[in-house]
Amino acid sequence: MKLAERLSAAVAGGIRRIGQIAIRPQDGVYLLCHIDDENSDASLLEKFEGSATARDLSTWAEDGHYRFTKGELSLKRGWLLQLSSSEELRQALDHFYPAAAGLWFAQHDGRLEIEHLRDKLNRQTGMYRFARTLSDAGAQRLVSEVCGPGHCCVKKILWQLDANTPLEDSEASRFDGVTGDIDRSQAIPLLCREACNHFVAEARKASKAEQDAKATG
Amino acid sequence: MPFTPKPHAALLIVGHGSTENPDSSTPYFDHADEIRRLGAFGEVHCCFWKEEPSMREAEYLIDADEVYVVPDFISEGYFTQDVIPRELQLEGPTTSRAGKTWHYTLPVGVHPSMTGLLLRRAREVAPDADPAQTTLFIVGHGTGLNQNSTKAIKDQAALIKASGAGYAEVLDAYMEEQPFIAEWAALATTPNVVVVPFFIADGLHSYQDIPVLLGIEAEPGEAASQREVFRHNPHHVRGKTLYYSSAIGTERHLADVILDQVADFDAKYHEAR
Ligand code: SF4
Repeated sequence: MKLAERLSAAVAGGIRRIGQIAIRPQDGVYLLCHIDDENSDASLLEKFEGSATARDLSTWAEDGHYRFTKGELSLKRGWLLQLSSSEELRQALDHFYPAAAGLWFAQHDGRLEIEHLRDKLNRQTGMYRFARTLSDAGAQRLVSEVCGPGHCCVKKILWQLDANTPLEDSEASRFDGVTGDIDRSQAIPLLCREACNHFVAEARKASKAEQDAKATG
Repeated sequence: MPFTPKPHAALLIVGHGSTENPDSSTPYFDHADEIRRLGAFGEVHCCFWKEEPSMREAEYLIDADEVYVVPDFISEGYFTQDVIPRELQLEGPTTSRAGKTWHYTLPVGVHPSMTGLLLRRAREVAPDADPAQTTLFIVGHGTGLNQNSTKAIKDQAALIKASGAGYAEVLDAYMEEQPFIAEWAALATTPNVVVVPFFIADGLHSYQDIPVLLGIEAEPGEAASQREVFRHNPHHVRGKTLYYSSAIGTERHLADVILDQVADFDAKYHEAR
């Protein structure tokens, strides 16, 4: 089945949420809004149509900063987006939460490939090569300092440091990828199958700091 | 060249993206929209180096079993020869992986049809400038690390010269290596100068750094979406009339170059079909 069809089947089967987005099927169309606007008076929300708008809605946060990491807990409120087909729904969700639905389906099918942190860091080249030397302790600390809802990322981390080294328990490593109070069976969780570029950039900084500390140590 | 639609295949446009400026990925989404509108592929997706979805996530976006990967990059170099093959796990022009067949084309910037696009952009930005009195600069970044990064630009300058467009001079110039674009007024002997940045996006380079190097801005300005750097042509600076264009990648017809690159790939590798 194509992704768009699987998505519409999932919504028909009760899926109502992904990240900070509420999905409501209604008379053959899909209505999307911010989860905090779900119970607002719809007449007060700004109306949009079509999947391309999703890119505009998801680019800037309320305070005007650029949301280059889409798992960030900073989606703007105040809008209602109408999508007229399952294909439009798929395209819109890929703007709001790129590849998230596809990752979730792949996980269901048992074909989601996870990449552990060491593999990710070890294949960095150029200026990010330095991230490789980060210690295990430093990497564990970084997860609790960079990831998780406390740091505005609401993805569920699937990777470990390496195949034999799980992440230490923290709010970040425990987070299940679903935002807010909702029956978990009604939500598509946001999945982190490998550390993001933001994490790698932070790993590079932390690794440099470790080297500097050793040098002056 | 008319493009034969591929309803059973997916197009994956690979871009650089940025953690600082969303305008830098706008052209990729625009090109994807344009190609969707043309109905050239069954599905069209974008993936990025610095933004989501990442290249490693791309396979989870795609339904089709056959995927054409087109680097929306100007030149062959570090990204197209090292980063993209590594991240997408491509082993050559065609790779079978993850239950799909992946075709990897050359970057858009090296396609011969870029020449027409550059000429058109140059004419649009300076409709009144007589080419015989005009020097056309094609500007790249230039790093000194990779010869290939300047090759695409030198090639285009040569093709424009040979095209009979009638420019008094066509020069390649760079931000960070010789010949420096900062020296444009000394390099050009004509009264008119047209500068076209050979970049995909109006990222920091084309609307912040180059205007400063040209002397039309005192210091790097705001993000492009908040500014009108390209609307004030012509500029009268250093005794010449200067026309500055936005990056070539913002041109809508770049979508056609993407399709040309796919058609060329097929002609080269799929002739037997
Ligand atoms: S590594 Fe994953 S969980 Fe951590 S910040 Fe990046 S996307 Fe979020």
